[in-house]
Amino acid sequence: MSDISVGAFYNPHLGRELAAADGIDHLAMADPPSAGDPWFPQIRERYTLLLHDYLGQLSEPLDERSIQRARSLAQLYRSPWVAEHFQCLHTEDGAYSLNYVFPPLYTEEFLDRFVRNAKALKDRLDQPLVMENIPGFFDVKASQLPEPVWLRRFFEATGVGFLLDLPHVWLEAHYHDLEPERWLAEFPLEHVVELHVAGVEQDADLGGPWIAPAEPSQAMLDFMAHAVGRCPRAKAVTFDAFSPSLAAEVLLRSVERIRRAL
Amino acid sequence: MSDRALQDAVIRALADAPYRASPEWRGRGLADASRVERYARFLARHFYNERIVNFFKYSRALARITGRRPEAVLRQPGFDALLSTLVLGSRDSARTVAALVARYLSEGESAIPYRSDLLRYEAAMMVAEAGARIWREQGEGRRERAFPERVEGTVLLELEYDLPAVLPKLLQPWSEPPVAPRRATTLLVARSPHGRVAVARGNQAVAAVVALADGKRTLDQLATRAGLDRAALEETLLGLIDLGAVRFSTGS
Repeated sequence: MSDISVGAFYNPHLGRELAAADGIDHLAMADPPSAGDPWFPQIRERYTLLLHDYLGQLSEPLDERSIQRARSLAQLYRSPWVAEHFQCLHTEDGAYSLNYVFPPLYTEEFLDRFVRNAKALKDRLDQPLVMENIPGFFDVKASQLPEPVWLRRFFEATGVGFLLDLPHVWLEAHYHDLEPERWLAEFPLEHVVELHVAGVEQDADLGGPWIAPAEPSQAMLDFMAHAVGRCPRAKAVTFDAFSPSLAAEVLLRSVERIRRAL
Repeated sequence: MSDRALQDAVIRALADAPYRASPEWRGRGLADASRVERYARFLARHFYNERIVNFFKYSRALARITGRRPEAVLRQPGFDALLSTLVLGSRDSARTVAALVARYLSEGESAIPYRSDLLRYEAAMMVAEAGARIWREQGEGRRERAFPERVEGTVLLELEYDLPAVLPKLLQPWSEPPVAPRRATTLLVARSPHGRVAVARGNQAVAAVVALADGKRTLDQLATRAGLDRAALEETLLGLIDLGAVRFSTGS
């Protein structure tokens, strides 16, 4: 029996089912609860909640408003750690935004930016900061370092924890014709605090698999078990699905299967 | 060019289809063009799916009567045909996509008398949300209270039905579609600099101030033209500024 916490994302449309569910240790919060959510008070009392909102992109320093928002959400949730992403999804002038996680160039300049801004954020939080890896569907020639090397240097420079998103690693391996286990071995797994697991589905635009609010396959669960065994500081595994289309059965069954696979 | 500027070029290429097709982008040779195109199309569908599901949620609630879910347009040839022209976040693209959705929904079965008003309202919300936004506060800057100016994207809707009376009911369980009272209703739709869309009931004073606030008239000129005394004008302006409908410009 593993002592790793197993959980899912809080999906407000499943508030009733989650308030009554068994077998879920924690819930990650992607959005603040709406004022009219009748289930959130029960959810907050019952579960460990993990702050996993969009706080800002750390290619730039977070402004005071964003920092105060992060602090107040972490306090509301009593979150044991605060999560952000290795993302740079809007232009510096705000004119263009992808509205979807997108990785930075893996360069010395971006490493310096992320280290500086993550340290500044970490210093303002009362909880540890963890950062999640983001998949690239294509390589940008201006990148100078392999992603795992860039990540390792970031974690060593900041002391921040690693939120390892396994489907992201799996997808990168898929699109680079690599064995997922071999690609995973390159990452700084000794810094991992939390892991994300999810399903993937075929996407017509991409012409291949991508993250979807679906059950993880058995192969993905095997990959998770393989990864957890190599992450000595891992404390939690989260079923990473947050979508109005997610069915309660899918969420509950996925958490149960994750627990069995650990 | 800095790495940050290069990243901005990649983000723009993914968000802005005409730029993606331009010699300026293609000449950089930064990434596999076919993969960039595939990912950009994926992002566009994701981007508009989020907005259609959010802003057309009332029409979505009526899908069991109309037989049409708004987000279905994203898998239709009409949307595919737009992909080479869309600029994610631009008001023109939002207007084009919202019109496509409204057209599709208006062709469905309906015994909903207020459907036309509803589609105008939902499309206006989606269009108002578009446009560049402030992601980071850069300090207070100059805030001279001199020339009130209507914020781009702010819309006054003149409706035949009192939609605010029916909208919350549409999202609750119902067996018969909720009825909207038939009475002329003015709604103001606006967006804050951070992207929050808000709606408020309008009146004659609001309509006059929104129409006249051009960033050139002083408060006194605006009060005279709107037929308001100075106190009434300032009260109206405070509400409009809170909503994001009007800001103060420093003049030219």
